[in-house]
Amino acid sequence: MSGEPVRAPIPSIARFGMDTISMAGALPAKLAAVRDAGFTQIMLSARDLVDHAGGAAAAVQAVRASGLRVTGLQVLRDFEGLSGHLHEYKVDVAKSMLELCRAVGADVLLVCSSTSTHASADPDVLARDLRKLAMLALPLRINVAYEGLSWGRTVNEFTTAWNIVSRADAPNLGVGIDSFHVLATRTLLDDLDVLDPAKIYLVQLSDFMWHEIRTVEERVTTARHFRVFPGEGVHSSEIADLVARLDGIGYRGDYSFEVFNDDYQQMPVARVADHGRRSALWLSEVVLRGSASFPRTMPRRRVGE
Amino acid sequence: MTSVTDRELKTDSSNPLEMEGIEFVEFATSRPQALGQVLEMMGFRAVARHRSREVLLYRQGEMNIVVNAHAEAGGRAAPMSETPVIAAIALRVKDAGNALRYTVERGAWSVPSQVEAMELYIPAIRGVGSTRIYFVDRYREFSIYDIDFTMNPGAERDPPALTGLHWFGIVQYVGSDRMHDWTAFYCDIFGFELLPDEVRHGILPKGHVLRSPCHRFYLQLIAPRPEYLDVEPDEMLQRIGFGTPDVLRTVAALRARGVEFVESKDVHSETRGALTQGFLGGVMFELVHDESR
Repeated sequence: MSGEPVRAPIPSIARFGMDTISMAGALPAKLAAVRDAGFTQIMLSARDLVDHAGGAAAAVQAVRASGLRVTGLQVLRDFEGLSGHLHEYKVDVAKSMLELCRAVGADVLLVCSSTSTHASADPDVLARDLRKLAMLALPLRINVAYEGLSWGRTVNEFTTAWNIVSRADAPNLGVGIDSFHVLATRTLLDDLDVLDPAKIYLVQLSDFMWHEIRTVEERVTTARHFRVFPGEGVHSSEIADLVARLDGIGYRGDYSFEVFNDDYQQMPVARVADHGRRSALWLSEVVLRGSASFPRTMPRRRVGE
Repeated sequence: MTSVTDRELKTDSSNPLEMEGIEFVEFATSRPQALGQVLEMMGFRAVARHRSREVLLYRQGEMNIVVNAHAEAGGRAAPMSETPVIAAIALRVKDAGNALRYTVERGAWSVPSQVEAMELYIPAIRGVGSTRIYFVDRYREFSIYDIDFTMNPGAERDPPALTGLHWFGIVQYVGSDRMHDWTAFYCDIFGFELLPDEVRHGILPKGHVLRSPCHRFYLQLIAPRPEYLDVEPDEMLQRIGFGTPDVLRTVAALRARGVEFVESKDVHSETRGALTQGFLGGVMFELVHDESR
């Protein structure tokens, strides 16, 4: 095993959790690593459950046995704006994910804005489809978080995602915010002020190592391979600002570390979870609890520490 | 309120399914005889039984109640509970197939059919908890019961309603912070309409009251009281409300048949309404003053 110490849950980071996507390996190892790092919640991918050696039912049991709260389940892609058989197909996929949510106790299903060239760009069509998805989720008591993927075809920022969500106007439909996409598109944080904090169902956090992303292709590549934990990249002050502003408008929900990184896929899970723990401590104990004069960078460990 | 008497069937977009009231309410229980006795006390008569399953039909006036004791009813995985639960509402609609398509298009979950040979297919969607909502379009020239049910020998086919009892509505319990969710569900998918807070019926004025698009019945959504929130109750269809033109007369008639009513400081029989004691571990019925029939 990793030899990392097993920590009791750390109360100050109760609102922070890890995305399984940030770690390599099998579900049980991820669950143990996240819990042992002091977290009390975990964001699951549907793939974690269906890929599990014993099948989805055994995966659900493993998650429940871990004692970790499930932040949410991800991710439904390219749902909105399709018609005919493509729409029917996606509704089937959505229903399957909603049933997984229900089984594993996830209150939130994360939906990414469509990248499909087959999808309509008509905001009324997008809103209608998302409202339908919300209605599908409603009897199961699941909230739908709609996230503007920075390479989404029509919706690629939280601002446009919010417009569609407002247009759809369903009680269990809100937005998911991902700091990566906000940084990549350089969306003004002032725009957070228009959001209803009760309609932000999830905030995912990550940073990356370079200052600018010039093309959409570069966005996709960076997003899928080169993310790092908040405090480890070059946008620490922006992320701190984002979290402080979300707190300022009244967001009291969860933060999850979604850190796609090829290097982390080659590290022991306990080690990656430890990166997450340090990031959570910085954000919770310094940024959220601190005053306006929070440190702009996270205290770093030296190599070998 | 004046709209209660407005009984004409609307055919415009405010009644997209061309709904025309409740066809039946279904209870599921492993003790059908015990529930049958309760229903008979409430004025119902056993009129028919299903041809192949342990399913009984009770009726009075316009109201049909189906008691389902069929072990595999609805493909339920869990064993059927002794305490009867409301398992389904069947809505009268113009065209059941169209109603299914319309509701599914708006985000309802259709329920796979489990029809056996020579049985009628009744389209259904999922409702709250493990309940279903059926769509029935055969209620004028002949009824669904003509196909799947056998009349009980000697039973009166259309027993009259006791003291004018009729469907008034169904009470649904909703989880904390779920009032808006369920209101949106019924309004969006079926065309129910949320009534203003000041419009109240009966003696238990709380929650959201939704009027059916056909103006023939109500759904009342009730959220748990905050002081009980440490245990989140299951969302469910909790009870049926019967309308009566004279609540106290109905109470007297039912008392004579052995029905007991809640008589406490907060809830007691009066001209506006009444609430029966719970039977069989939780089945209760509400009476509501309603002169619209």
